[in-house]
Amino acid sequence: MNSLDRLIKEKLQREIQARTRRHFIKDCVAGMGGLAMGSFFMSCNSFLGNNEKGKIALTERDVNPLASMAPPFPAKVKSVIYLHMAGAPSQLEMFDYKPALQKLDGQVTPQSMLEGKKFAFIRGTPKLLGPQAEFKQHGESGNWVSNFLPHFSKVVDEVAFLKAVNTDQFNHGPAQLFMHTGSPRLGRPSIGSWVTYGLGSENQNLPGFVVLTSGGKTPDAGKSVWGSGFLPSVYQGVQCRSKGDPVLYIDDPKGIARNLKKSTIDAINNINKKEFDEYSDPEILARINQYEMAYRMQTAVPEVMNINNEPEHIKEMYGVRPGKESFANNCLLARKLVEDGVRFVQLFDWGWDSHGTGHDTAIDLGLRNKCTEIDRPMSALLLDLKQRGLLDETLVVWGGEFGRTPMQENREGQEMAYKGRDHHGDAFTMWMAGGGIKKGASWGITDEIGFSALEGQVSVHDVHATMMHLLGFDHEQFTFDFQGRPFRLTDVEGHVIHEILA
Amino acid sequence: MEIIQQLIGRLHPLVVHLPIGFIIAALLLQWYDRKNKEWSKIIGLLFQWAFISATVACISGYLLYKGEGYSFDTVKFHLWFGIVTALFSLLMYLRLAAPSKMDFLKRVPVVLLSFSLLFLISFTGHLGGNITHGSDYLIEPLPNSIKSLLGAGPKVYEMPTIEEENWEEAVLYTDLVQPILNNKCVSCHNAKKEKGELQLEEENGILKGGENGAVIEPNDPQNSSLYARLVLPLDHEDHMPPKDKTQLSKEEIDIIESWIANSNSFDKKIGELGLKKELFQAFFPKAKDNTYPDVKVAEVPKDTISAIKKKGFHVERVSENSNFIRVSCINRPTFKDKDFDLLSPVKNQIVYLDLGKTLITDAVFEKISTLPNLTILKMDNTGITGKNIEHLEKLEYLRKLNLVGTNFQEVHLAHLKRFKKLQTVYLFNTPVKKPDYVDRPKEGELFIDYGGYDLPKIATDSIVF
Repeated sequence: MNSLDRLIKEKLQREIQARTRRHFIKDCVAGMGGLAMGSFFMSCNSFLGNNEKGKIALTERDVNPLASMAPPFPAKVKSVIYLHMAGAPSQLEMFDYKPALQKLDGQVTPQSMLEGKKFAFIRGTPKLLGPQAEFKQHGESGNWVSNFLPHFSKVVDEVAFLKAVNTDQFNHGPAQLFMHTGSPRLGRPSIGSWVTYGLGSENQNLPGFVVLTSGGKTPDAGKSVWGSGFLPSVYQGVQCRSKGDPVLYIDDPKGIARNLKKSTIDAINNINKKEFDEYSDPEILARINQYEMAYRMQTAVPEVMNINNEPEHIKEMYGVRPGKESFANNCLLARKLVEDGVRFVQLFDWGWDSHGTGHDTAIDLGLRNKCTEIDRPMSALLLDLKQRGLLDETLVVWGGEFGRTPMQENREGQEMAYKGRDHHGDAFTMWMAGGGIKKGASWGITDEIGFSALEGQVSVHDVHATMMHLLGFDHEQFTFDFQGRPFRLTDVEGHVIHEILA
Repeated sequence: MEIIQQLIGRLHPLVVHLPIGFIIAALLLQWYDRKNKEWSKIIGLLFQWAFISATVACISGYLLYKGEGYSFDTVKFHLWFGIVTALFSLLMYLRLAAPSKMDFLKRVPVVLLSFSLLFLISFTGHLGGNITHGSDYLIEPLPNSIKSLLGAGPKVYEMPTIEEENWEEAVLYTDLVQPILNNKCVSCHNAKKEKGELQLEEENGILKGGENGAVIEPNDPQNSSLYARLVLPLDHEDHMPPKDKTQLSKEEIDIIESWIANSNSFDKKIGELGLKKELFQAFFPKAKDNTYPDVKVAEVPKDTISAIKKKGFHVERVSENSNFIRVSCINRPTFKDKDFDLLSPVKNQIVYLDLGKTLITDAVFEKISTLPNLTILKMDNTGITGKNIEHLEKLEYLRKLNLVGTNFQEVHLAHLKRFKKLQTVYLFNTPVKKPDYVDRPKEGELFIDYGGYDLPKIATDSIVF
């Protein structure tokens, strides 16, 4: 064996000695060819390819990422106003009338109901808490609305209720993320981002996706609820403030005149243009476009965000509080924004987490005040959109991130001084109004005490699928490729809720 | 006797390969011998055998067709071309080794006969293959992109539908289950193919099951492979339909599950089974979208669209599959009547026109009346007074008219009531006086929205609890 090994070794050595530079070059030919081939293939890419005039073939989107695009199907609505009551409003005091719960008020919750359920704060065996509001049927639809919302009860025929929405999250942050991005974890684009990505924006001078907050705080989940996730960041929501400058740092700095700014931007754009001529990178064009849009926004945004020019009777109808941050101001702004072609307006109102830990979070006190705060503005929003012919082409969505328990909260197992309800996601109420929605409809029935759905349970994904449907998308086809697979807003779920569609 | 007939018939797939072999061998020899002409005798002999074996193949084929119950339509071309192949083989033989008295045959060029035979043998063989394996057998493994090039794109299955009005009257099996099976399963599990010895074409086959026994365990979908295999992970070996085939939709799988869970009845109506309506939502025919006119218009060339966009108009197609467009002046508030001519290249396609907040005057009505398919027209917050608005009567599809915030005069209101399809007019913030009582419009009647809605102050507005 030893001699055989030596023989093989010698043969190999001889072979190596016989290798010349020519061999090396010869062997390299294939590799070099491959490299050359690569550059040929690159030219197949239409993005980098030249058209016959020797110019770069660019789509409108390369230059302006907010250029509008046709939806796959004819859309019922072109804009969305989403009213989110952050903290989760109690459906049992607003829309879901449960007379049986009134009779059971103060009784101990049967153990069978609590089995396998998780609560954020309820410990041990809580007592049931009857509705703290009085209910009546309203309008021709005869839908139930409580006396916490006296104005809304007059416009109840305009909306369609979802009485048994279900979420699997019971903490604010994840539930808000789920409600707005379709996933309780970070990293997914919000509905508004999906919509602006899919449809672009009509108005060149305004962002396509505007966020307005009220109630003193932003949502628990942070700005991710209007983030763009893995979509290009240009599609994220632009937060505008209803107090002070609508968009921070939008004013010209002291001592810098408007025309000086214009010439600055022109100069920057000229340099960028030269850069583009040299390297043909479409990103540069997009950047030029962004500079120009930002400049136009400087005048357009303060104009549309100014509610002072609205007539008095409109301001009264909404109950605006000029100069303050309020839900009413935001509702009026939402109408103005939609009127001016903004695609998606997201409102957050904070302060709905009625645990009963104090006066402000008591079901019969603080919650009622919160209801008064939104009652007039949201009803006025529907009426105002309607009289301007905008309700037909706008979708208004109202809801929280989950609902609240029929049980009274007993934090740490103790009886609490104020009446409160804990987080509960099994069955809560949302409503939609606007184009394509069946007016006065109500879908979903909860059990006698409003704890679980009996019929017509819909998921958060179903709500998203329905919104997408009204905007002209098939939620199963509308995808974005990321990390090697197509992503959807509705993941692998979601059914359009036909019961509330006209 | 019948047994022998059947036996001979079933030998057809074997026998057919003899004439194929002979003819191809003879044609090849002809090619090699085209100059020297040394093997003429052998070639002639080969064609003689080809004729004899082709004749036997035709007879056995005919017996197979008779014995196995194929319909004549399925086999007719194969049959006729088989006979023609046999005849051409004879012709070729005679041409090559003709006795002197058949001299007239010498006038037929051999090359013509050779090519005819080559064509006949290939085509007849292909038709035969189609009968045994199915007509899509050959191209089936090709990727869809190539299939569509060949004009045989992936099959588009239409979901079965049931009427929403009387959904409880539909028979679950006949109206939904079997159509679903037909669409997604039967192409492999049929009488001809019978993969896994399973036939799903009708009741008996379904109840009989396949090589692994019954596919239905009554009332137990989880243990019925007809259902259980549908819900296995796609990558699982036993998942059905196979990974590369069209899969059942979630709704369809739910139907199969409920059918098995409810004693897999073959004749009960949905109502009798007491199933919920939600289950069938996806199978109700979708209401036709009637937002825009049911008229076909030409597609606007891309160049035209970008030219109009360059002028500052906002232009978008109604949907990817529609040639109708929506045009808005939201980014062009300086729009004047004379600018209207810029839109004339797309006048047939405009269904939605937003001239809100522009500088238009009453002269624009006449121009707008040249947009035959216009459905929604917005002229809010402009200086129009409504003079000449009668021109719009020409627009037979005009459904919505937004005049909010204009100087529209009440005298012109009467014109609007004559418009054929007009459903809603918005007159909020105009000089038109709101009547004390607004009648609720009847179906198909014009609704005038005077706006001016209000939410009167109430006591609780200012109460803080």
